[in-house]
Amino acid sequence: MKISLFVTCLGELFYQNPAKDMVEVLERLGCEIDFPQGQICCGQPAFNSGYRKEAQKAAKQMITSFESSEYIVAPSGSCAGMFKEYPGLFREDPVWQEKAQKAADKTYEFTQFIVNVLKMEDVGAVFPAKATYHTSCHMMRLLKETDSPFKLLKNVKGLELLPLANSYDCCGFGGTFSIKMVPISEQMVDEKIRHVEDTGAEVLITADGGCLMNIKGRMDRKGKPIEVKHIAQILNSRV
Amino acid sequence: MRKGTIQNRDQFLNHIAHRLGRERKQDVRIPEWEFQPQWQVYHDKSADELYTLFKKNSEEKGTYVVETTKEKLGETMESIMAAYGPGSMVATKDRRFEEYGLHDVLTKNNVHVWDKSLGDENIEAAKEASIGFLFSDVSLAESGTITQFNDSDIARSVSLLPVTYAAIVPKSSIVPRLTQATEKIQKQVEDGEDISSYINFISGPSNSADIEMNIVVGVHGPVKAAHIVVMDA
Amino acid sequence: MAMKIGEKPFFDRVDDALQDDFMRESMARAQDGLRGKKIAATEADEEIGDWEDWRSAGEEIRRHTLENLDYYLELLTDNFARRGGHVFFAETAEEANEYIQQVAKEKNAKSVTKAKSMVTEEIGMNEALEEIGCQVYETDLAEYILQAEEGDRPSHIVVPSLHKNKSQIRDTLAEKAGYTGTDKPEEITSFARSQLRDVFMNADIGITGCNFGVAESGSVALVTNEGNANMVTSFPKTQITVMGMERLVPTWKELDVMVNLLSRSAVGQKITTYVTNLTPELEDDSADGSKEFHLVVVDGGRSKALGTEFQSALHCIRCAACVNVCPVYRHIGGHAYGSIYQGPIGAVLSPILGGYEEYGELPYASSLCAACTEACPVKIPLHELLIRHRENYVEQGYADKSEKLAMKAFGIGTSTPSLFKMATKGAPVFAKPFVKEDSISKGPGPMKLWTRIREFPAPGNENFRKWFMEHKKGGSRDA
Repeated sequence: MKISLFVTCLGELFYQNPAKDMVEVLERLGCEIDFPQGQICCGQPAFNSGYRKEAQKAAKQMITSFESSEYIVAPSGSCAGMFKEYPGLFREDPVWQEKAQKAADKTYEFTQFIVNVLKMEDVGAVFPAKATYHTSCHMMRLLKETDSPFKLLKNVKGLELLPLANSYDCCGFGGTFSIKMVPISEQMVDEKIRHVEDTGAEVLITADGGCLMNIKGRMDRKGKPIEVKHIAQILNSRV
Repeated sequence: MRKGTIQNRDQFLNHIAHRLGRERKQDVRIPEWEFQPQWQVYHDKSADELYTLFKKNSEEKGTYVVETTKEKLGETMESIMAAYGPGSMVATKDRRFEEYGLHDVLTKNNVHVWDKSLGDENIEAAKEASIGFLFSDVSLAESGTITQFNDSDIARSVSLLPVTYAAIVPKSSIVPRLTQATEKIQKQVEDGEDISSYINFISGPSNSADIEMNIVVGVHGPVKAAHIVVMDA
Repeated sequence: MAMKIGEKPFFDRVDDALQDDFMRESMARAQDGLRGKKIAATEADEEIGDWEDWRSAGEEIRRHTLENLDYYLELLTDNFARRGGHVFFAETAEEANEYIQQVAKEKNAKSVTKAKSMVTEEIGMNEALEEIGCQVYETDLAEYILQAEEGDRPSHIVVPSLHKNKSQIRDTLAEKAGYTGTDKPEEITSFARSQLRDVFMNADIGITGCNFGVAESGSVALVTNEGNANMVTSFPKTQITVMGMERLVPTWKELDVMVNLLSRSAVGQKITTYVTNLTPELEDDSADGSKEFHLVVVDGGRSKALGTEFQSALHCIRCAACVNVCPVYRHIGGHAYGSIYQGPIGAVLSPILGGYEEYGELPYASSLCAACTEACPVKIPLHELLIRHRENYVEQGYADKSEKLAMKAFGIGTSTPSLFKMATKGAPVFAKPFVKEDSISKGPGPMKLWTRIREFPAPGNENFRKWFMEHKKGGSRDA
């Protein structure tokens, strides 16, 4: 199966290891991967802040870059979810709206693609640890994807997945929300961390770069010993 | 009938139409709704099953449910009087009390039957009463709800002011849910009938969760409720 | 007082809220408690079928009603007046209050009882009535408590006193109303019952809001639990119902659907204890029941949403389901929004009714997690409307300059691959002076806001594109 990698700007700038893990997992599952060079950022920071024109610019760049792709796969539920917003973003431009719809229809988040398109639930990963999983809001509510990460994690050997209380509550990232509404964001992430700590997990797993950056950033600041990992890192683990 | 009045309407509605980018609408047909899940609820339940649900859902709201027959209804009412008394009692002026042969029970036990010619005296009686007796016109299985089509005889105060309301619920009055009750009212409206000025769906004693989300039963309406189900079907 | 709460700027209100531990605990507890109840009464209740179908039913009813609002308001008021009721259409809060004052004066009213109503709160009706010498009694338990406190305002549209705990309530009632009991909710409630009994009986006017008008019969439906709305509508000779102009349904069939959505979404009840439907009295001979019934239909800025992307905000049935799942509301409570309409719907509605000058920050008080949109029983796309507000806010020139510049740069950067390439190459070099171990603790520029409370990840040293090319050629990875 031929797929195009949308590594996301966070992936490219900060989370190169998870991005590499994702490439390796998908290759192992038989995918032929290309990397459209024109890709940059899905445009969500501008879109969510009300800068529609700027978001359209970013979106056009992405739509064009992935025009010939069969599948677009991203290591982030939120960024993949942003592709689903593209048709609405071009609501007054039928030409681009059609292109946007095509891009939206072929976009998948990494775990969603494995479970729903590749129809695989066991990728042969081994990761002996006590862990819990943070559900990203955008993946759950915009992309409507809740089960795939759990299906995959259930089959990771040695992994004990602990339930997370209030898993449905946002971690406080919210893109520019995290810097515009710092005091509120702080309370949200602290509550999230409290719930994570209460599980007794050594590792927190998530499928979204934004949440990861937020929760990890706060945990590191507070000196919490819990590791925060992207799900691709777990699924590519063989030890 | 008194004459009603309407002020400022045209200007107000013209503005709305203008905002909606069109002329005023003179005739609108209600579409056939694509989604009508309400009709599916309990649609295949028998009368017995509906009664069981009515009982369960009444009890869930803290309402006492007692089953009786038409013949034993008087006796059952007296047992309710014993349980929820002592004190004075009121009842709506409802021809069904006669039809069910309850005249003697009401008289014997000094139940104040609503009499509009007495005016405020009725309200005073209801206010002092420990029990108010009334009939449910339509009863909802889904939520243990009784219905009152109140008027000047079937007075609203009877289900509101006494410490306990005791509703006589003919089993045949139990329908699946609000859907069937509103359908009946809608039919009256469509037939050009004047509907009751006070249609009240009541589900057990009054309650509130306003203080720290703790449920407290008995606020401004009744503190207790009893549903006397007459097994007529 | 009207819609606005407090005079402080937004961030000061947020700071105040974050200091209030009891309030925050109580918000979290209320959300957690309500969540299970609501789920049990909605998506988990198999007896009512698919909850999504109910939501869709609610959405199509509300959409149709709002699209034909002028028609249904005409029908409602024709039928209301045909039964002898008096209708007044008020464009503004002032017009509504003047009319209500005028009715009160005509009746020489001294005492007014009130059931809970957000729209009367919005227009500041109590103050208008007090101005002409009426004593206004709030009778909903939560509103009764807030009124006793003098000047306290609703922090939740369904449970206005959610921010107060029982001992605070006891103290307030002890000080202001001579209460001598304990802080047991039962005891406090019983006190309110006894205090208000005679007040109900002796009031000159009873005032309610309106959950739904029923156009085809000219009726007003009230969805309540405490019995106070029944008291308010049974004993005074004059009744006034104030309704937001969008709060109606075509017929009783639609009322059925909306009552179900409201009861289950608001409090997880199959139906509220009372669903009371009032139509003006036909005859004058009832001992209880009002003799004169006034209906005041209020615009108050709502029409500004008609014909715009915000029209669906008027579909709202005030169940607070969005408030009850909002993680921002959870932490800052209701008062921080500075409006009687709080949470996601408040952040959407308040700027429509009150403008961006006053409420422009509210649409940003959301992480766009979309929990609100998911919870809304009539499918208002709340988080999308928040984004639309942000778009307007920017387009109308409210956003600050540095943000505009940054976003402009973002637009250029994210549509110019060569620039982005340079950035990915340059980032590690640029960031180097700030990096300690693997992260940045004190970032420059806008990063400062991030690093106020968190570490910022250090840009990776490796170039992913380069790695990928080599990898495709058969290279292996070293990390």
